[in-house]
This record gives sequence, C-alpha cells and structure tokens, in this order.
Amino acid sequence: MIRKLSALPILIFLVIVYFLYSGLSKDPTLIPSPLIGKTIPEFTSKTLFDGNTITSKDLLGKSFIINVWGSWCYGCSIEHDYLIDISSKNTIQIYGLNYKDDRSSAIKWLQSKGNPYRRVIFDSSGDIAIDFGVYGAPETFLVNEQGVIIHKHVGPIDQSYYNNVILPNLRK
Amino acid sequence: MITEIGNFLLSISASLSLCIFLSLFLKKTISNEVRFLFCKIASHIITFLIFISFVLLSYAFLTDDFSLRYVANNSNVSLENIYKFSAVWGAHEGSILLWVFVLSIWSSCIVLFSSSIPKVIVSDMLSIMGILLLFFLIFILFSSNPFDRIFPIPINGRDLNPLLQDPGLIIHPPMLYIGYVGTSVPFVFAISILLNENIKLEWISWLRKWVISSWMFLTIGISLGSWWAYHELGWGGWWFWDPVENASFMPWLAITALLHSLIVSEKRGIFISWSILLAILTFSLSLLGTFLVRSGILVSVHAFANDPERGMYILIFLSLIIGLSLGLYFIKSRSLIYEKEYTVSSKEFILLLNNLFLTITTFAILLGTLYPLITSSLNLGKISVGAPYFNFIFSALMLPIVFLMSPAIYSTWKKTNYSKLTKKLLTFLFYSIVITYIFMNFYFKSDIFIVYLAMSLAFFTIISSVAKLLLILKNSNNKKIISNIFSIPSSMLSNLLAHIGIGILIIGITLSNYYSIQKEVAMQQNSQILVKDITIKFVDVKNKISKNYTSQVGVFDAYINNDYFISFFPEKRTYNIQKNIMTEAAINSTLLRDIYVALGENLSNDTWVVRIYYKPYIQLLWYGVLLMILGGLFGIFGRNKLEKKLNNDS
Repeated sequence: MIRKLSALPILIFLVIVYFLYSGLSKDPTLIPSPLIGKTIPEFTSKTLFDGNTITSKDLLGKSFIINVWGSWCYGCSIEHDYLIDISSKNTIQIYGLNYKDDRSSAIKWLQSKGNPYRRVIFDSSGDIAIDFGVYGAPETFLVNEQGVIIHKHVGPIDQSYYNNVILPNLRK
Repeated sequence: MITEIGNFLLSISASLSLCIFLSLFLKKTISNEVRFLFCKIASHIITFLIFISFVLLSYAFLTDDFSLRYVANNSNVSLENIYKFSAVWGAHEGSILLWVFVLSIWSSCIVLFSSSIPKVIVSDMLSIMGILLLFFLIFILFSSNPFDRIFPIPINGRDLNPLLQDPGLIIHPPMLYIGYVGTSVPFVFAISILLNENIKLEWISWLRKWVISSWMFLTIGISLGSWWAYHELGWGGWWFWDPVENASFMPWLAITALLHSLIVSEKRGIFISWSILLAILTFSLSLLGTFLVRSGILVSVHAFANDPERGMYILIFLSLIIGLSLGLYFIKSRSLIYEKEYTVSSKEFILLLNNLFLTITTFAILLGTLYPLITSSLNLGKISVGAPYFNFIFSALMLPIVFLMSPAIYSTWKKTNYSKLTKKLLTFLFYSIVITYIFMNFYFKSDIFIVYLAMSLAFFTIISSVAKLLLILKNSNNKKIISNIFSIPSSMLSNLLAHIGIGILIIGITLSNYYSIQKEVAMQQNSQILVKDITIKFVDVKNKISKNYTSQVGVFDAYINNDYFISFFPEKRTYNIQKNIMTEAAINSTLLRDIYVALGENLSNDTWVVRIYYKPYIQLLWYGVLLMILGGLFGIFGRNKLEKKLNNDS
C-alpha cells in the first residue's frame, strides 16, 4: 500500500510537467476569442463627442482597430501614448469603444491626453462590449476590410503591437 | 576585460561543481576523508569565484560600463548609485547570478556548520549541491549571461525599470532568494539520507535550524514584497494572488509543513519518510517558482521578459532533478518508515492534521496558479481563477489550521489527558469569544459572521500562547524575570512568538479587509472630503524635478474636528528614460489605522482623481510578521534542550 502511495508524487509531478511543457509554446497574453475569424457584431450607438448615431456598418471599408478603453482604466493610460503614435502614422484607423464610462470624464480624459481615435463609440452600459466578448479594458481588436476580426489583444498594447500585429497584417 | 574574467570565473566554478558532483560516484574508491576535504575546499572556492564575478558585475554597473548588454539594458548614468547596485539583480541575467551566488553561500554554510553530521553525509550533500550549481552555471553561461557584450556600445543605458527604483526592492529579492534557495539544504539532506538509507535523530535537530533559517528568510522576503506593493502600486492592496507571489508563497507553505513534521520526527522518530518527501516537495516548488517567474508562461504584474528557450532549459533541469529525486524516494523511502503508537489526542496527531491541511492548501494554490495552463492545454480556453478562488479556498483551509494551533501547544506526546486539555482549551475559547464580542460589538458595531470567526480564532491562539508563556515563567524556580525569560527553551519561545505573530497577523488582515473605507473621487483643488472622522483638503499640485524623474506632488491637508493634523504629499513620477509613470502613495500610520492618499489621473488643470483609503489596524499585519521573524531568530540562534543534553554528555 505504502509502496504504491509513494509512486503518487511521481504521477502528480508528471502531469504538472506535461502542463508546464504545453504552456511554454503558448503566448500567455493571447486569450482566444470565439469571435476571431468572424465579422464584428452589429451595433447601433451614439458617438462620444457629438452624440451622432454610429453603426457597425460605418466602420467597414478599410481595415481598422477597435480599442476598448475607459477614463477609469489604469492600463488605458499606459497604452495611450502608443495609440497616439499609431494614429500619427496614418496607416490604420483607430476606433475607440468607450466602455462603462461617464461622458464628461471620458471627454476630459481625451482632451488632456490627446485623441488618437477617428470616432469613439460611447458604450456606457457596456452592452456592445459584451457582444465583442470583452473581458475588461483595455482590449484591442484588429479587423480587416471585410469587417472580420483577425486578432485580439488583452491588456495594454506597446510598440510591439504595431510592429508585430498591425504591420504584418497590413502587408497581406 | 570584465566579460572575459567573468566568463572565466563562472566556467571554472562550473567545472569544479561538476567535479564535486562526480566525486559521488567515487565513494567506493577514494577515502571519505579525502573526498570530504576535496568537496569542502572546492565548495569554498566556488563561492569565492562566484562572489568575485558578482563583484565584477556590480563594478560594471557602478562605473556605467555600457559595453555589457545587461548593464546597458538596466542602468543609466543618472541613476542613483544605490539603484545602480541593486540593478545588478534587477533583471533576468543578474537575478540568476544572484540565485547561484546564494546557492554557493548555502553550500559553504553546510561545510562550516555541520560538525555534528558524519562526513559521508556532508560530502553527499555537497555533491548534490554541486549538480544544482552546475545546472545554474551552465544556464548562465549559455543562455542568460550578464557578461555578454553589446556592439556598438551605447552612450547611455536604458535605465532600471522604475518599479524597481524603491528602497524596499533593494533588499526584497536577496531576502527572498536566500529563503528560496535555502530550501535546497533540506533537499540535499533528504537526498543524502535516501542515498545512505540511514538517519539519526540528532541529524534532524540539526536540519531543523536550516529549515527555520530558510523559513525566516522566505517570511522576510514575502512580507517585504507585500510591503512594497502596499506603498508603491498605489492601490492600497498588499497581496494580489499574482502567479509570482504564489510562486514564493507555495514553498513557504510547504516549508512550514516541513518545520512541523520535523518536530515530530525529532521528538518521536516517526514521520521521517514524510519529512523527506516534504523536503523534496519544498525545493521542487522553489524550482517551479523560478520556472514560472523566468519563463513568463503566466501573465503577471511582474512583467519579466518572456523567453520560451530559457523556460525550456529550466523545465528540463527541473524535470530531471525532481523526477530523479521522486524516483529515488519511491525506491528507498520504505527503509525510513518507522511506526510507533500514538492516539488521536496526541501532539503527533494534531501536527499530522496541520501537515495535511498545509499540504492541501499548497496544492490548492498550485492548482489555481497553473489553472490557466491546464485549461489552455486541454483547449478549454485560457481562464484565470483569480483572487476570489484563492481568497475563498485559502481562508477556508486556514481556519482549521489556526484552530489547531492552541490544541497543538497544550497537547503532549503519545497521549494527552483529554479532560484536562478540553477544560483548559474551552476556557481560552470562552475568553476569546468574549473579547471578540466586546471588541466587535461595541467598537466596530459589526456583525459579519466570518469576521467574528476569524477574530475569535486569532484571539484563541494569542491567549493560549501567552498563557503558556506565563505558565512557564511561573513554574520556573528562578526569581528574576529577565533570566527567567532566557531560561525558557528557545524552541518553545520561538514557537510561541511565531504563533502569537500569526494571531496578530490574522487580526490585521481581517480588520483591514472588512472595515477599510475606500474613496476614489475626482477632486478639485481646494475641495475637501470627509473620510471617517478626518477631513482631507486638496490644496495644490506642485512640480518637482529630480535626477532621473520629474514628479507632480499633491499637497493634502488633513483636519480632525477642524484642527490641523497632518499633510500628505503623494507623488506621481514620470521617469525620464523609459517614460514610465509611477505612483508614490503618501501614508500616515498609527497602530490603529493607516490613512493612504494616492494621486490618480489628472482630469483637467486643477481636477485629479484621488484615491483615499482608511485602513484600520493594517499595521498589525507588519507587527505580526515581525513577531514571526523574531520567533525564527530564536529558533535559529537559541540552543535547544537536545543540544544542551548532547553537550553535557560529551
């Protein structure tokens, strides 16, 4: 009995090693989204600044990124400079999805930090974000000209996002 | 030159480590004396060589030698000297060098403080240390070399990660590593015991001091990390169940279990095989922690560079070392099983329960930490279980452990007088419930059940421990109080102090968790806010320019009943080179409460998001930890009874 029991640690250990090994080849920040390869969910909403109606069809035509953000979100302020940097390159359009936020503080936030977004979808209830399968802010989706989501990034983006995600997809 | 000398020293150390390891296979051909002498001298030489290479790297940092890639990536001319020095272990390559350095120090310590252990066992321990050293030295030389050059040589470096530019983080990694790597001593001891299939009880009391040392350093390291998070991250929290935190907490739990099972092994000669397994488990968790932190396979706030290749190397090493150890355990452990009778009311049984719960807790945390890996490799998507899981499972498993502390103190070996024990414990339990009730009902006016439960258990432990302390003092014949305190057996004193510490820690955690007041508000200058009975007025934000950062310093005045009380100066720093923004919270602490003010976003010219926390009794947390550390010190430096007896006999 005891002899058999003393083999138990080895078994547990082997199982753990298997999981560690399989984890090594995967990128931890990549949370698989069931939406990848599918068209973006349809929505109708108002824009942040002027309150005009914006629908999912308005975004289509060229490839673009949707950045989910909120003025309350610490990670968003970290990635903000990179977004401004990307928008200044004029290679791809950035739409903002203002998530669970207050209109006036969101506007103030953009006024003080600069606005990288072509248009900002105002989603104070977070309903549109639910359709996008958003876990939290910030998240960034890369969408092609047909409106198909081809990449999802969770957490603040940095320089490597432009170099490793946007550029390769633009060249395709 | 530094590159060549550094590589040379590390290569020599690696070769010597290999020789020490190989001497294990020459056991039969060379005499014990010769082998011991060789292992002893070679271990000291390795420690010396690694020390020199460590000094060289520090020298390169202090003299801004940016021809080294590692220095260029982690330092800067304008960095303060103290941070240039701490930058030596500020990133991957240097921290692995620190790892090996600490490992070599531990192996030298084994040589220095093991006169009571037979030379065969010590030589075997040093040989196993040799293979550990060898693996890490090879790792440094081939994939994490801090002495690698960079060309062209940059004019200035990329600066140390601003998160690490904090006094708490100068000392946190070394302490943590001393504790982490210290778990290698019980490990090599366990392996030598298995190889020799021979154990004597006095060796276990020798081992216990090493285990306590490693436990104490882990405690210091972990609590410094928490202390740093509390002051630096600006969220008022001190524990986040982050994978990297768990990586240091799991060995702590395992070594705590080992500490308790060794007491039984030493006193009663049982649980030896279990202690051996725990020693292997503890070190395995340390290695696993190193792997998790260094491979970057889990998302963590400690954003270290991800490198699958490095991860692969550590994983192969880890599998070999742990796999072989467990295999050896499987083959040999039966010879170490001794059976003796004990009853359900005995100290043995209570400590067995303690071990059971601690081991389950360790595995629950391991499961939670690895959960994202498990689900993703089973293609269930990457799911993190997060703080709710850990908080629930940890407190659920900790309650019985804390409850068992008092019975463990008052029970006796083999068999306890059951009616006497229950009578005593029920009295203490009664008092602790009364105290909790008075305190919670009249002072906090609160009726949360879980708080009552945790507080009563904490008081139960404290009262029982203090009562035991008083009892010993009363019973001793000596009239002078001071010499009385020194006459308490140090193992008993260390045990009581640590448990009182745990009790105080629990009170601090519970109260600060359940009764803290948090305000996150947009404040205009000259506006004020009432937190509990304190009015906090936002006066101004000033700009400050320092050597390597600029900062905005908020000025807040606090008033109690319209009387000026104190000013707070929270900072938001922007570091010049990496453009990182860091929060420095301003904290006013008294024993009863902390007031914590941190600056958030700047919304417009004079409007800021301000985070104000009122945290009652959070200071008790640090005092509890200090008592635990003090307990550890008594355990290490106090002479225990058995040793005295041995000395008297000889």
